[in-house]
Amino acid sequence: MQVARDMYGSRRLIVAGCGEAAQTARGWSRCTKGWVGPMGRWLPALLAMLLSWCASAAEPAGGREAELEPIVVGNPQALEVYPPQFRLMTPRSTMHLVVTGVYAEGVVQDLTRAAEFASSNEQVVRVEQGVAVPVGNGQAEIMVRVGGWEARVACEVLGQETPERVSFVYGTLAALSKQGCNQGACHGAPSGKGGFRLSLRAYDPALDALTLIRESFSRRTNVFEPERSLLLRKPLMEVAHGGGRRLSKSDPAYEVLREWIAQGCQLDPADAPVCTGIEIYPRQRLLHRPAHTQQLLVLASFSDGSVRDVTRLATFSSSDEGVASVDASGLVVGRTRGEAAILVRYLDRLETAYMMFLHDVPGFVWNDPPPHNYVDKHVFEKLRQLQILPSELCSDEEFLRRVYLDVIGMLPTVEETQAFLADGDANKRARLIDALLERPEYAEFWALKWGDLLRLRVNKVSASGVPKFYRWLVAAFRDNMPYDEFARALLTAEGSTFANPPANYYRTAADTNDCTETTSQLFLGIRIQCAKCHNHPFERWTQDNYYGIGSFFNRVQRKPASTPEELVVWVARSGEVTQPRTGRQMKPWLPLRGEMELPGDEDRRLAFVEWLTSPDNPFFAKMEVNRLWGYLMGRGIVEPVDDFRDSNPPASAALLDALAADFVAHGYDRKHVLRTILNSRTYQLSSRKNEFNKDDAKYFSHARTRLLSAEQLLDAICQVTEVPEKYPGLPLGTRATQLPSPDVDNYFLKVFGQPARETACQCERSTESNLSQALQMINGPLVHGKIRDEHNRLRRLVAAGKSDAEIVSALYLAAFCRTPGEAELAAALNHIAASGDRMRGLEDVCWAVLNANEFLFQH
Amino acid sequence: MYRLQIAAFSLTACLLHGAAAQEPAVPVSFTKDVAPILVKNCQACHGASDPKGGFQLHTFAALQKPGDSGSPPLAAGQPEASELFRRISTDDADLRMPQDSDPLPAEQIELLRRWIAEGAAFDGGDPQATLVSIIPKLPHPAAPEAYRVPWPVTAMAFRPDGQELAIGGYHEITIWNPADGALLRRIGNVDERTYALAYNADGSLLAAASGTPGVSGEIRLYEPASGNLVRELASLSDAAFDVRFSPAFDRLAACGADRSIRVFDVASGTQQLLIEDHADWVLAIAWNHDGTRLASASRDKTSKVFDAATGESLVTFPGHGDVVYGVAFSPDGTQVLTGGANRLIHVWNPADGNKIADVGGFGGEVFRLSVAGGLLAATGADRVARLFNVGDRAAVRNFEGHADWVFALSINEATRRLATGSFDGEVRIWNLDDGAAIATFKAAPGLGVAQTAQAP
Repeated sequence: MQVARDMYGSRRLIVAGCGEAAQTARGWSRCTKGWVGPMGRWLPALLAMLLSWCASAAEPAGGREAELEPIVVGNPQALEVYPPQFRLMTPRSTMHLVVTGVYAEGVVQDLTRAAEFASSNEQVVRVEQGVAVPVGNGQAEIMVRVGGWEARVACEVLGQETPERVSFVYGTLAALSKQGCNQGACHGAPSGKGGFRLSLRAYDPALDALTLIRESFSRRTNVFEPERSLLLRKPLMEVAHGGGRRLSKSDPAYEVLREWIAQGCQLDPADAPVCTGIEIYPRQRLLHRPAHTQQLLVLASFSDGSVRDVTRLATFSSSDEGVASVDASGLVVGRTRGEAAILVRYLDRLETAYMMFLHDVPGFVWNDPPPHNYVDKHVFEKLRQLQILPSELCSDEEFLRRVYLDVIGMLPTVEETQAFLADGDANKRARLIDALLERPEYAEFWALKWGDLLRLRVNKVSASGVPKFYRWLVAAFRDNMPYDEFARALLTAEGSTFANPPANYYRTAADTNDCTETTSQLFLGIRIQCAKCHNHPFERWTQDNYYGIGSFFNRVQRKPASTPEELVVWVARSGEVTQPRTGRQMKPWLPLRGEMELPGDEDRRLAFVEWLTSPDNPFFAKMEVNRLWGYLMGRGIVEPVDDFRDSNPPASAALLDALAADFVAHGYDRKHVLRTILNSRTYQLSSRKNEFNKDDAKYFSHARTRLLSAEQLLDAICQVTEVPEKYPGLPLGTRATQLPSPDVDNYFLKVFGQPARETACQCERSTESNLSQALQMINGPLVHGKIRDEHNRLRRLVAAGKSDAEIVSALYLAAFCRTPGEAELAAALNHIAASGDRMRGLEDVCWAVLNANEFLFQH
Repeated sequence: MYRLQIAAFSLTACLLHGAAAQEPAVPVSFTKDVAPILVKNCQACHGASDPKGGFQLHTFAALQKPGDSGSPPLAAGQPEASELFRRISTDDADLRMPQDSDPLPAEQIELLRRWIAEGAAFDGGDPQATLVSIIPKLPHPAAPEAYRVPWPVTAMAFRPDGQELAIGGYHEITIWNPADGALLRRIGNVDERTYALAYNADGSLLAAASGTPGVSGEIRLYEPASGNLVRELASLSDAAFDVRFSPAFDRLAACGADRSIRVFDVASGTQQLLIEDHADWVLAIAWNHDGTRLASASRDKTSKVFDAATGESLVTFPGHGDVVYGVAFSPDGTQVLTGGANRLIHVWNPADGNKIADVGGFGGEVFRLSVAGGLLAATGADRVARLFNVGDRAAVRNFEGHADWVFALSINEATRRLATGSFDGEVRIWNLDDGAAIATFKAAPGLGVAQTAQAP
């Protein structure tokens, strides 16, 4: 270790150390030997952020990956073709054939790419690259040959004599969606692009019809010479197009658009069949390498009973591009082992195919770590399947620091650390967990988290309202108020925001839309905001749904009370919500339940809460256990924790289900869930990775290192230096984790991501690292002031006559919950000795400790 | 006949190519041979605005300047040292232009190679002129002999005597008898669509604003009696939208999607003014009563007043807050009337831009305005043409009957007629004074007559 001063007296690091120390097998004990300057730590992250930003900006429109590995057919024991038989009812109908080889022990592989197709009658049907296309009316068989097997698919072709109109909605708009024309960054933006605006992902076909056919004096289409239409020439880049090339003549969308124009840009008749749903084949697949690709087939059902292959006009996206990518044709390509949800969208219809990719990792042997409880059973089952080896159990020192930070938000004292490390009881971890959950700091720390979510701050609930609401929150956690009761108290609150603080829920959520969005996100894990103005771009939620939920809350009224700053929340007996786009009055609507008939004058919030807190509600318990898990593990089972959707699958559905069921069975007892997770082996795994889990960031095979939160960090600095921070209007000794609201305006806290509590999104608390943070730690006035403080820990220890070695040990215990290693101690003592000024030398060590990853991070 | 002409044209083109290949003695012409290739294949990305790779070729001067790579695009006599040639001829798909497209045909690459080898000479006059404007013009494709579907009516003008009505068709202008809807003549050699038409005082000249969306635009003068092209006044990079004679008929104002307003001397064809003041398409233009002011309507959501002598921008009216489609002056020049996407006509003072009044009641966007003899006619998306008194803005009468958006209109004072045209190709002739319907027809030559089999 070398710390030097430059000419201005600022501390400066000379030795470039081992930035990867945290990643090495020997781990933290080496960290402090090779400190790397904070710049060194953050700069690569910054660069990476910039690079990733640039990369995403330059992402191509899509298209097949350059090279696909050939399929190893092997020896299938059976061949399955889907669909087993089919009809093509119109000239434009097609059918993708998906060929599956079934191997020993039920292993399957997609053989579509390797199969040869032949038609028994080319006058009836032909097969082009795995897609059956009609030729003339009649019946035929398609022979599918691969791996020495032959399967036959019966096919009937009808209706070829009747010309087929291209549907405006199901052809043209689907084609524009497929090419991305109407996505949010392009013409789907609220004001469009380049004077051309489409509704976002075609949610408003009537508007799109006007835009495409009539707007700007019918500029965009040319019925006489369809190929010369601007609508085609722009994306083909035959005419300058700000969005670049988005279409090629070989894309299925090109032919659809061209034909629609050639047919005179017709709209769909009022009685045209509507799409009632889509279905993906296969819905889910487990592919074991060499099997790693899968062709998907998308079938749409229509109200006239017809079923059509819409694979060519459906859009595909992967929940995890690192695990699997999917191209425009619906071919999924697995990249590494793991799971990915493939989101398939056809206009406003969404479905998800779940893909799991496995491969044998050389040298992998499952070591069967003993599970502590059901959490581990579920986590390890997935790890074993994916051939990821969990890390070792963490040390007592690591556990101690981790569990203190997670449960009560602060570091243990030196005395607490020494007592715990000296305790020989095999059950001491469980005992510590129980003890921490009963500490008053537990209630304060968790009230801080919910203060964020409930937007507890002066400009939302008034200066007098903040302490009242805060005290209610702290009491709720102190008394371990069951979560259903907690939600009911907030959601059905009435009366004065002073006398009944939970009524502040409707003070911060100041209008119906805010209530809809906040409630959906907090209690259902549904981010429904997007559906306010248009159907949700990534989810099934529609604009109707948004306003249907709103109708539970629109009767909530707010009026001033007798005292200033006080507000009274009350519920009117009537009032309905009108959907702004359609002008339709909305009935109360609940996800997965649909519209509800409720008595005219009742407080509809009661019906909502009854549904919400019923044991079989599919969102409520899962959302909360996921949030609790996320707080403890640094990543939700569903991540982001409040973003539940089909396209964002949980890392382990079984684990989420088990935790939720346990939560419900224990009367929505949050401490029970926390205790269960904290006692699991999974929670207590080391952050040191092994050869078989070094790439895992998702399945909880090791502890996740993460920067302390703003409040945790500031408290920890105060605790290590023993110099408290003074917050205006609050007594000295108040910790950052005890602040009722962020109104105390502390720059250090803001820089480290303290949220302003403007939104109900947990994401508002920033977990990003940035340059200002580095500067604060290296040379900021707060850190500097505490290191130089006349009454800090260093000076007290010096005054008490402690030796350098004792002081360094005390610092290590306070900051890292461990004593220094021999080499670390020697390096520190050498530095103090070499610096000439003992106090300066000690300050340097203290500074270095505070700037060590081992201090800044939870691990 | 339409098909036949194209075939004949292609054949000629082939023969010409063949001849060129066998006869290297004829030097390659930049304007005739090279510029068309560049415009068609390269200009979309390397044009005037936001050029890819920092390289532009919309003018010959721009073509000389290296892009971000720093390599000179042209080295006279040395094709291999010319970045332009290297990029179109390389086998490296990451470098080859046009990007993400098929390579240029071998004979076009050879033409470019030869042109550079022969010295990369310029035979186009002004090196600052756009390539589009120096490429020798080929006649436009012929209009279809018979329309298989109606074509939207976007432009119409009565001959001042009211005996003929000119209408914009597909690659043509059609002349109709407004009394009975009989097709009188067809004027060919016109760009794809025509957005505005205007006759001079004696009906001997017909000005047309035409274009192919996103590709080209033209402001041309035709002799309507013979159908001959008198003169092309300007060639634009996108469609021209409006054209109007000055009150004295000695000047012509035009505007278009290139955001420009131009004023020409009718007798000589000289361009007197080029006003580039709007931030988006200029959709309509109007002269005041004495020809000293011009008012414009733009997709940039404003209307402006300009000094017609100097082109100076005098006043901006932002009141629509949305696209402004139509503009007209009151007969005494003291008011500007503008109609737009906000479903209103705003009446405002051209001296200071202050609003005087609104005219409402429209059920959709307001498109074209026309003032004649104290009357204001307006068309719009609500399928109705409306007539107002300019003086008190009182509604005079509505002309209802169109089944689709009414894009175009023309008033004829001599015969007291109003003509309106809609998206569905329908033209209606009305009695201006009592609203009676005089004639209704589709401005689509040959529609429904002896059509060959077509897709539905």
